[in-house]
Amino acid sequence: MPSLLHILILMPLLFAVLIALAPSKQARAIAAIGSLVPIGPMLVALWKFDWANGGDLHFVSSYNWITDLGLRLGVGVDSVSLLLIALTVLLGPICVFGSFSAVKDNPKVFYGWLTGLQAAMIGVFAATDLVVFYICFEFTLLPLYVLINLYGSSNRKRAATKFFLYTFTGSIIALAGLVYVVFHHRGIEGDWTFDIATLTSTAMGMPVEAQALVLLALMLGFAVKVPLFPVHTWLPLAHTEAPTAGSVILAGVLLKLGTFGIYRFVLGFVPEAVIAYAPLIAVLSIIGIIYAGLICWVQKDVKKLVAYSSVSHLGFCVLGLVALNNVGLTGSVLYMINHGLSTGALFLCIGMVYERFHTRSMDELGGLASTMPIWSSFMVFFVMASVGLPGLNGFVSEFMCIIGTFQSSPAWVLEGRAGAAGGSLGPWFAFAAGFGVIVAAMYLLYMTGRVVWGTPKHPAGHDDDHSELPTDLNKREISLLTVLAIGCLGLGVYPTPVIEAIEPSVERTLAPYQDLLQAHAAEVGVRHEAASEEHSEPHAESHEGGH
Amino acid sequence: MSMMPALTTLLAAADGPFIAGGTAPAWVGLMAGLPLLGAALCVVCACLNVKSKAPGYLTVGLLAGGFVTALAAFMGGSDSDSYGVATIFRWIHASIGAGSEASITANIGYYMDGLSMLWMLFVTGLATVIGLYSTEYVEHDKGLGYCRFFFAFNLFVFSMSSLVMADNLLLLFLGWEGVGLCSYLLIGYFYKKPEAVAAAKKAFIMNRIGDLGLLMAIGATFVVFGTIEFRPLFEFIRDGVDANGNAIAHTWVVVVIPLLFTAGAFGKSAQIFLYTWLPDAMEGPTPVSALIHAATMVTAGVYLVARMYPLYAADEAHIALSVIAWSGAITAFWAAAIAFAQYDIKRIMGYSTISQLGYMFAGLGVMTTTGAVFHVLTHAFFKATLFLCCGAVMHGFAGQLDMRKLSGVGSIAGFKITAIAMLIGCLNLAGLAGTAGYFSKDMILAEAFVTPGEVIFLPWAVGLLMLLTAFMTAYYTFRVFFRVFVGPVKYEAGDDHHGDAEEEHAAEDAHGHGHDDHGFHPHAPRFAMNAAIALLAIGSIAAIPLYFINAEDHGWAGSMVHESTAAFAAPEVHHDDHGEHGEPHAMLSADVVPVSLGAAPEGDGEAAHHGDNLGLGLDPHKAMYVVSGIIGVFGIGLAAFFHGPKGLGGLFIGNRTDTGSPRMDAVARYFGPLPRLAERKFMIDELYDTIIVKPLLVFSHIFHAFDKLVIDGLVDLFGSLPRWLGSLLRPSQDGMLHGYATGMVAGSAVLLLLVVLVALL
Repeated sequence: MPSLLHILILMPLLFAVLIALAPSKQARAIAAIGSLVPIGPMLVALWKFDWANGGDLHFVSSYNWITDLGLRLGVGVDSVSLLLIALTVLLGPICVFGSFSAVKDNPKVFYGWLTGLQAAMIGVFAATDLVVFYICFEFTLLPLYVLINLYGSSNRKRAATKFFLYTFTGSIIALAGLVYVVFHHRGIEGDWTFDIATLTSTAMGMPVEAQALVLLALMLGFAVKVPLFPVHTWLPLAHTEAPTAGSVILAGVLLKLGTFGIYRFVLGFVPEAVIAYAPLIAVLSIIGIIYAGLICWVQKDVKKLVAYSSVSHLGFCVLGLVALNNVGLTGSVLYMINHGLSTGALFLCIGMVYERFHTRSMDELGGLASTMPIWSSFMVFFVMASVGLPGLNGFVSEFMCIIGTFQSSPAWVLEGRAGAAGGSLGPWFAFAAGFGVIVAAMYLLYMTGRVVWGTPKHPAGHDDDHSELPTDLNKREISLLTVLAIGCLGLGVYPTPVIEAIEPSVERTLAPYQDLLQAHAAEVGVRHEAASEEHSEPHAESHEGGH
Repeated sequence: MSMMPALTTLLAAADGPFIAGGTAPAWVGLMAGLPLLGAALCVVCACLNVKSKAPGYLTVGLLAGGFVTALAAFMGGSDSDSYGVATIFRWIHASIGAGSEASITANIGYYMDGLSMLWMLFVTGLATVIGLYSTEYVEHDKGLGYCRFFFAFNLFVFSMSSLVMADNLLLLFLGWEGVGLCSYLLIGYFYKKPEAVAAAKKAFIMNRIGDLGLLMAIGATFVVFGTIEFRPLFEFIRDGVDANGNAIAHTWVVVVIPLLFTAGAFGKSAQIFLYTWLPDAMEGPTPVSALIHAATMVTAGVYLVARMYPLYAADEAHIALSVIAWSGAITAFWAAAIAFAQYDIKRIMGYSTISQLGYMFAGLGVMTTTGAVFHVLTHAFFKATLFLCCGAVMHGFAGQLDMRKLSGVGSIAGFKITAIAMLIGCLNLAGLAGTAGYFSKDMILAEAFVTPGEVIFLPWAVGLLMLLTAFMTAYYTFRVFFRVFVGPVKYEAGDDHHGDAEEEHAAEDAHGHGHDDHGFHPHAPRFAMNAAIALLAIGSIAAIPLYFINAEDHGWAGSMVHESTAAFAAPEVHHDDHGEHGEPHAMLSADVVPVSLGAAPEGDGEAAHHGDNLGLGLDPHKAMYVVSGIIGVFGIGLAAFFHGPKGLGGLFIGNRTDTGSPRMDAVARYFGPLPRLAERKFMIDELYDTIIVKPLLVFSHIFHAFDKLVIDGLVDLFGSLPRWLGSLLRPSQDGMLHGYATGMVAGSAVLLLLVVLVALL
């Protein structure tokens, strides 16, 4: 039975084929239409979705492919998948329209791959079957490889290769973990299946050692994609070299494939291992938040700065995930959407300046507030969204990730605190991550101070070509940024509907964790008591412990 | 600790904080809504490329609307039954799951009680007046700059209103960060000036350091109380329990959470380690300094502590309050010492703001919320007056702020109002007996001497430090006044250092003035600026009677505080058995002792006791009137002696020269390097730069290099491994990608095999 999701996946594919077949001159127009049309079915999907039961799969459909192996082509979405699909569909036209003046040579290839990429990304979120998931997951690499390789800046070849190989290696390792789970299922149930829901229920029963192994494999794979410290170094390079549309889609959606993978598979498959290793993952996230943030601070290249800021920001996202409670997870999912909007917008802004001045160096750019007031207003706006200013989108999710982490101490559970929600992190993790909030202000305002404020500089290389672009933004560019700005403002002022939409899915994901976390807390309590009896080194919990 | 039981009983007998019960009308939201509308309209004006003063007048109109709303709310709200919560809509709602009913709920909702009412009255009122002043002050920048200014101005008032009226900690945080943003935008208003941009950035980042504390406080509050909404929160605290009914006294809850709130408050209110952003913030346009960096935003920290006061008071050891009292007093003294040696009149006002904020915190620390809040109120008026006067001078003399290059401004035509207002402001700041600033400062000073030592750590020392500061304040304030406003008329035009150079030139030209010193004529403030200055000066006089109405509550401010959460436990006056040390009234007198000049509520015993500290044998409040009155006059006299002009019919005996005062220089020699150090602000900025910023920068560079060389290097090494292996095996290896891929596929195949084997075994 065909479902809405098929339309959403196939439509971009169809347009991609059309672009490939049509003459080069028409590529841009077809891509524009092709990016706008899926908004229709997406709105229908949003409208028809039963938000009250957002944890269930909707628009489910599957075709048997190889019955003996249990291979099916299954699609279906819960609320989190659908929201991420909505983000993908929304960013589609932004990327296409944002490339109008930037891409001149060989538009066919550019728009073709860009449109095809949409299909793959939607496929990742919509998959209910591991095989579909993995195929789409891997297929996202190819279009971006092409986009970076052909349309990037000077160092694009190296960036594209590195991006491809690094993330590919990561996904292979993740595949190993997924395959292990499939084998495990077969060992217990005796049949082959790749259905994610079924696998989730059997995978949870794995012994802790096996869970740890799967956790390692999956985390290695998805962490590269996120990217989590220390497997992040492909990202600054890829981002810096990618064309604007590539950066927007990379920051907006592709990185979220990693966090989505953690959300869906790591948290779903191996709860016990997650509880055991959450502190470790959290420590890596926090290192990433601060380490990458400080690196941002010494960048000269604006785009590289924003690229590193993604590493820092996504640290919050992963931290929220391993907080293992409602607030943290909801915040994290919200973060995926918010980061897509605000960082995507920042890349777009930087792209617009690059088109005009052919430089991204802060040594050459400066004082744009006097020459480009409209651009500057947008830039400051999105910087503030990214800094996490309350009232804009970034704050809500960042706050929720931090509070979720704060709540997630076993000590709170033991003390029966009203705001306790289980988990294996705690206030010290939240406090450490909180420094990221300060660092974010440092590097983003440093950039704003250099680029937006100050005395106007006139970079060389301006005003030769691209005469079609006015000094300040044109209507097309303003509209694009306005759409994103409305999104940022809307999600900052009234995030409740989205939070409530995410919650059912989060609750379902966390359902297996309740008892485990209780047990974990009790165990920590026992250990803590034993430790204090022996007068050995005090545990971290003793800091928060009541008197 | 032996005193604790007695104090416990006292607190147990208390009424507790006032918690607004009812439902406030939704229209109180207009106080925040109208400025928000104004901000939106300024954006529209910018889009329409409006080149007139329309955005300014629009702003003033809407802000006046906000003030009228505040007045209306006050008229209705003086009956405490109508204080309450007005909920506009649900902003953030996230259930915490885990079978718990608790949820993070933050509405756009307004909590109206005496404290928020008082703050809203002066915030909206001052914003209107200073908005009016600004319409003229930034007129040289009509067009986009004008829109930008008033956009941020409006947004500031919106944020401040949200902060003050918030009915939950998260909305408070929204306002908190919002005022930070507006402060950032407005300090950096002259964005072509590197100093302004740097100052803006510094302000934002230093505030964020404090904000981390506030964020953690919100987290801890939520975990302990299961709510961040004020009403349920304060009900728990009033009952002394957390959400599970366990007592919070003697736990970390009443120590750690208040200290975290304090960290946030210190960032916003420029206290102790976090003050250095505020003097730099003087780079902003002067109306901004007046409104944001003197009267309203910087008092947000005081507001926060006053708002959360029940939590502070719940700690019987009063650790957080001791910290606040001492930090406040030290900051007051420190900033005054720096102000002593500065020459930039606006910076001096900036430092004096830090110093006065120190008084307010000390007041909170020594448990006179009323005194602190009243000082906020009086300070808002007189400091805004002072800033606007400085602004008028700056505006008139092309940005000149160096007191060595200005003299006799009061005698120049057109500066009469400015000079009179300046005098009024200076007298208030100096604490001349009878002024509003004198009364409010006295409440804090006196309380420091009556608060017993077991409540706050060495309160009398706090008091002495503040007394010394009061003297210094009187001196440095009048040093400015005597040098700049009296004496022979003599001036040098500034170099537009603080203005937007090109535009200001244009404005000068339009007035037909050359810009050289030869042809320079100061241009006096016109209607809008004069009106605003006069209004504020009148306001700072009008604050005096507020002290005498509702005397049983310690003045009008006291009666407002009394109907808020800042009204902490206030038991009846009685003597306990601890005799000279544990005067119960002493620690709690703020709301009990009617202080008016004649009414001393205490017996001789206590008076004698406190007389020990003051050496006057009087009731502490009365004694303080005398002591601080004398100190104020003495400070002013000293300023006249050093910096007053000669002559004027023998009235003045000063001996100032163009650059200083020989007498002062002679005195300064006894202090060794201290005066020089004070002039250089004790090198604190340099210190921070050396011990924090520079190392952090070095670390960042190291990280960056590490990232490129080590982490990425390892990746590249790993990536080149297959190629290297390949080249060993097959020398005819072609192409990098190929090599990588071969190795990778082989590697993953091995891995896959391993996994499959593990699975099968």
